[in-house]
Amino acid sequence: MPPRLVARPHPRADAVSETLLEVTNLVKEYPVRGRRGEMFRAVDDVSFVVRRGEALGLVGESGSGKSTTARCVLRLIEPTSGRVVLAGSEVTGCSQRELRNVRRQAQLVFQDPYSALNPRMQVKDIIAEGIRIHGLVKGGEARRQRVIDLLETVGLRPDHLNRRPSAFSGGERQRIGIARALALEPQILVCDEPVASLDVSIQAQILNLFKDLKEQLGMTILFIAHDLATVRHLCDRVAVMEQGRLCEIGTRDQIYEAAQHPYTRELIAAVPIPDPRRERVRLAARRAPDATGGRT
Amino acid sequence: MTSPTVQADEATAEVVPLLAVRNLKVSFRAAHGAVRAVNDVSFDVRPRERLGIVGESGSGKSVLAQSILGLVRGADVEGSAEFGGTDLVAADAARLREIRGQEIGYVFQDPLSALDPVRTIGYQVVEPLRVRGVRKQEARRSALDLLGQVGIKDAARRMDDYPHQFSGGMRQRVVIAMALVAEPQLIIADEPTTALDVRVQAQVLDLLHKLADERDLAVVLITHDLGILAGFAEKIMVMYAGRVMETADTDSLFYSSINPYTLGLLASLPRVEGQTPQRLITIGGRPPSPSALPEGCPFNPRCRYVIEVCRETMPKLEVPPGGSHPSACHRAWWLAHTPGQMP
Repeated sequence: MPPRLVARPHPRADAVSETLLEVTNLVKEYPVRGRRGEMFRAVDDVSFVVRRGEALGLVGESGSGKSTTARCVLRLIEPTSGRVVLAGSEVTGCSQRELRNVRRQAQLVFQDPYSALNPRMQVKDIIAEGIRIHGLVKGGEARRQRVIDLLETVGLRPDHLNRRPSAFSGGERQRIGIARALALEPQILVCDEPVASLDVSIQAQILNLFKDLKEQLGMTILFIAHDLATVRHLCDRVAVMEQGRLCEIGTRDQIYEAAQHPYTRELIAAVPIPDPRRERVRLAARRAPDATGGRT
Repeated sequence: MTSPTVQADEATAEVVPLLAVRNLKVSFRAAHGAVRAVNDVSFDVRPRERLGIVGESGSGKSVLAQSILGLVRGADVEGSAEFGGTDLVAADAARLREIRGQEIGYVFQDPLSALDPVRTIGYQVVEPLRVRGVRKQEARRSALDLLGQVGIKDAARRMDDYPHQFSGGMRQRVVIAMALVAEPQLIIADEPTTALDVRVQAQVLDLLHKLADERDLAVVLITHDLGILAGFAEKIMVMYAGRVMETADTDSLFYSSINPYTLGLLASLPRVEGQTPQRLITIGGRPPSPSALPEGCPFNPRCRYVIEVCRETMPKLEVPPGGSHPSACHRAWWLAHTPGQMP
């Protein structure tokens, strides 16, 4: 089959407008060890929205606060202040019981597929657990069928049902993690570096899977990553974080073709391009005495 | 067997290689028989050359580097690795230690585990010189100078700091300084930037590049990321399942690869510029486990160009008729004459 290289218009372009997740003035502070009363702001007044059906990339270097932001959104850690609204209901300040429902609607996919799955459970139980707890599908046979459907959605086979995580490679485990998240029929997937620990050839498979979920199931994705190339491939819009602050947010083209913030430009300029001729030009620019870290 | 790398570069064949690896095989004994991690690998590193070795997990790239440095334990190593008149495979532990400290510098992925947490940075950078008998004051002066060159600001004061007081990027600079202080001719760096942020990665790679130029150093850079080799390496060797799949100068590898695995790797890389493809072209399946390699070419179950012979015989790494560089593929000739198979 010839590769499809031409970008198609977004099939749900008209649907991408409704706000699904709204984060307003989010702050997370930690006490500084050894210094009484002094606080470190891991997340500093961050506001953004994620629209239904879009993939928003949240990028930054280690320590930029991107993962902390994601965890505050799901209230896996309690934000110091700020407001998070998911599908019209308040996440910040809701009760533990309401939180259960919030977390069903916003499912997390983790970076490390090795530690995210219980090694003693079979794949079918890993995926069915949430369905059973939330009573989403009644009856053993119907549940089994749902699990088989989910496996198929993420590109695994029904004969994988009775195996345990140790029988799978990193990429397949990540597929299991995604199936488990999808099992709860969430409105949004929050993915924290989901391809960072995968081999290059496997990373592309998982990125394609996320793209399919977005375009075929209309899934909304908040995609946290340090790798600007993977974010560019998947995300419609990109938010850039630096030292706890959001320094720039825009559409993919705005960020990658015409970044305004110097930090964004510096990040993009540092990503290696698998093209020796281009790299020679960029290297010469970096070595030039008046190089300011801008794009070449 | 003739060496494919020499065969490929007839014009420069008279240059004596700094490191000449021939038919290197490394196997580990496991519960169910031997597991071969590196299988018949040959290559040269010439003086001042920057060679990139790229491969995914299980490709054998790190075991290859470690076996050259005499750092793998409990493995059977066959073949030879000639370096300055010494066969590193046959050399005894004392000679290897000497070579590692002075003639070959090495930099590994995790700078924290390469540094001793209870000794100052200064002590650790000076040590390779002290071992060689250089006087204390002189050694300290060289170390100070070098730390400045690798970009440690206020080096005189920071020499008395401990590793935990440095950031990841600064630690890797210290490790590079340690590798360089005895003025080796060759540096082997295994994933030196994998743990680093993208801006720091660019700085560390630029630094290695600059130091290699200034000090007439040869560098072997081992990585899973073809992208970083585009700007760094002059020659690239692609490994898969313990074997060399393709070797070429960097431009030939990126612009006219004749190996389906390399082509697949290149196509599956997302990029920060140019067109964004709707879908990335992927290599299906996953790399084989070294203990359960398929018959024939190890890539055959994932290869889109597979033919019958691929399932039966391992292809030789050789230059196909009319080709520009060696590729271990039964269809290398066809790929060389059918351009544009994959973008």
